Amino acid sequence: MLLEIQNLTRRFGGLVAVSDVSFRIGEHEILGIFGPNGSGKTTLLNLISGIMRPTSGRILWKSRDIQGWRPDRVAAVGVVKTFQNPKLFLELTVRENAAIASHLMLRHQLGTRRIAELLPWCASRRHPDVDARLDRVLALCRLDGMSDQLAAGLSYGQEKMLGVAMAMMCEPELLLLDEPASGLGDAEIANLEAVLADLRAMRTTLCIIDHKVDFLRRTADRALALQQGVKIAEGTPDEVLHNPRVIEAYLGRPHARA
Amino acid sequence: MKWLALAGLLVLPLAVHSNFVLTIFVFSFILGMMAVSFNLIFGFTGQLSMFHAAAFGISAYITYLTVNWLHVSFWVGLLPALATVAIVSVLVGSICFKFKLKAFYFAIVTLAFSELARLVIMNWNSVTNGTLGLMVLDKPTVGLPGLGTLTINGTVAWYFFSLAGLVLTVAVCTLVLRSWIGRCFAAIRLDEDLAQTLGIDIFRYKLLSFLIANLLAALAGSMYGFYTGYIEPAYLGINQSLDIIAMVLLGGRGSVTGPIVGAFVLTGLPHLIDLSGEARAMLYGAILILTILLLPRGLVGTFASLRRAA
Repeated sequence: MLLEIQNLTRRFGGLVAVSDVSFRIGEHEILGIFGPNGSGKTTLLNLISGIMRPTSGRILWKSRDIQGWRPDRVAAVGVVKTFQNPKLFLELTVRENAAIASHLMLRHQLGTRRIAELLPWCASRRHPDVDARLDRVLALCRLDGMSDQLAAGLSYGQEKMLGVAMAMMCEPELLLLDEPASGLGDAEIANLEAVLADLRAMRTTLCIIDHKVDFLRRTADRALALQQGVKIAEGTPDEVLHNPRVIEAYLGRPHARA
Repeated sequence: MKWLALAGLLVLPLAVHSNFVLTIFVFSFILGMMAVSFNLIFGFTGQLSMFHAAAFGISAYITYLTVNWLHVSFWVGLLPALATVAIVSVLVGSICFKFKLKAFYFAIVTLAFSELARLVIMNWNSVTNGTLGLMVLDKPTVGLPGLGTLTINGTVAWYFFSLAGLVLTVAVCTLVLRSWIGRCFAAIRLDEDLAQTLGIDIFRYKLLSFLIANLLAALAGSMYGFYTGYIEPAYLGINQSLDIIAMVLLGGRGSVTGPIVGAFVLTGLPHLIDLSGEARAMLYGAILILTILLLPRGLVGTFASLRRAA
């Protein structure tokens, strides 16, 4: 088991954003998390990625408790998150953004040998592996034509793809995607799905949260649904979507009875 | 361009024999070291440190006191000074960065530590001679291959000595910024939260930036003390910090060498037009305000974009 969430709870004052949620993600799996707005999906990802600390519960990454770790340490062990509203270094070009994101890759590859980069006569300041991966990831995210464009000039859909590209540069074992399809048009969603299909082919483990039901049904192997912070269903995407409690959460009680 | 400027500076004393002009260059070089190193933490890492003057002053005092007490050379005296500045930087930096102080909170807390150091120095009469300051009579010596040991005495010797200090400062900053460390600094400046989710340990890299910047300021401080022959608590004063900020803003934050231009203008100008202290402060203020309003990218940044546009 790659990731195991045990009884995770997060309170904000009187509000319980995530309530006693448990689930697991296996290797090479794509887990979709459904839920209407405000159901605690983003909070859940923020807890896993270390951006927020849980009130209680455990987060086991390969049987190791990573609960309470700083985001950079969580990222360093291979759990990387994208943001719903993409966060980018707007003053830099697409390629520079992705290059900064190669920090962990270089650290893993070189470790303390990076010190050699500081020597004035050091010729190996260019890292062919990193450059090759940059090219591959930018091509994967359909950004290869705009390497030198400033991130500030990208469309919303491209910004989201650059967010994914930057996360990919961290060589994640588990990629947490926070509403990758929200705010995208049909063409951009088709593009995103193609990227996710490529990621699946590369056997990257994914955890995707979204409230776009069709998108998740097409993408995920397994799904769970949240409502007001509580897990209300788990199974294949179709099982979850046909679960009366899920229908009720999305459409209201009359539809659930029908 | 940079190499050309350096070559010009190297041969300048052959053409210019005026002690007055060369003195302005020496001050500009040493304050340029301050401005370039301050730009590392301020311009490149985005942290408005007010501790820079403290590192400068602490190092000047400790270097002199060690030289005076133990009768050792400038270089041996510099070692405990750099070590102290390193320890103090790690302490102050750790406190600020552990508590995640940002922007003005970081500036205020580092200013408080800086004032603390200044007040200790000002009131520790038996060691520092308080507000009267210390007279420095010793001069640094440098061993050069083929030339034996030279004492840095006189304006021309100081010209080359301080130019070497500036070149060293620029070289250290350039190498750091060209490496992965520079990318981490940029990431922290642009978006800390994003940097952290990409696996960058922001505490470590902020501390590293603060440490390197302060160590380079420490070297500048010791040189300044030995050059002027006089060390006083005002070395650590807020005016010193503000002067350096003005130099960086005027020269431009975007490049390693930009602040040197700021240092030259703000050091040279008041001397060339012979101003009193009050008028000098007003000139500084006016330049600072006009720069922020009209040239947010500084002289060098604006010049570079004009050249690109042409």
